[in-house]
Amino acid sequence: MTGPLATGVIVASLVIAAFCLVTTVMKKSMNMFHLVALAALEIALLVLAGIGIAQAAGGNGPAELATFIGYLVGVLLIPPAAAFWGLIERSRWGPAVIMVACLAVPVMIARLQQIWQGTGV
Amino acid sequence: MSDPKTTSSGPGRVLVAIYAIFALAAGARAAVQISTRFHEAPLAYSLSALAAAVYVLATVALARGGRTSRRVALASCSLELAGVLVIGTLSLLDPAAFPDETVWSTYGKGYLFIPLVLPVAGLLWLRRTRPRP
Repeated sequence: MTGPLATGVIVASLVIAAFCLVTTVMKKSMNMFHLVALAALEIALLVLAGIGIAQAAGGNGPAELATFIGYLVGVLLIPPAAAFWGLIERSRWGPAVIMVACLAVPVMIARLQQIWQGTGV
Repeated sequence: MSDPKTTSSGPGRVLVAIYAIFALAAGARAAVQISTRFHEAPLAYSLSALAAAVYVLATVALARGGRTSRRVALASCSLELAGVLVIGTLSLLDPAAFPDETVWSTYGKGYLFIPLVLPVAGLLWLRRTRPRP
């Protein structure tokens, strides 16, 4: 949960957000790149969630297990919801929705890491 | 930029997305707080639940955007603004009453002050998209 994969997901999410900012400024609507990026992000999040749940099931989980699972499930919902909500908007504001989602994902992963390490509730 | 017709299209779609994330975050947090340790800070956790309910209401109302929905959105954005101002002030004056953070503590400091900006943005957006005769 605090390893290189989590760091990678945070960085990738921020890169996608930056890409969305560029396309929003250029007044482009959503295209294949946005969708592929979101799909890749979701797969990485699923792997991360799988590892987290496996570690928690093995007895190495955080004290705040309920909060941890809540955030884990919550973060998985964000990319699909953003894809749906952004796709029906055929304007520059579609990618802007993806940008918001890709800024929320790193925040949620940072919270997950705090819960994992037992700092902050 | 063309004139937006509904509260959920154009920039409004981004607003709804931010509201949805806050509804999700505040709702999940309130559910965990209330189900695991309600007795520790009943006031703070009840407020968390109230804040979450208002965010859900605002999200749905802004996404739907009809006449009734606009009224609901107006009411929930106003309630949110009042909530963040009142609870923000109270949490500074009497920190002991708020042993655990709520979304609205210290004007939403724990959430980058977005809880303070969001209702203002919502109210401005409702004004921008108001139906003209």
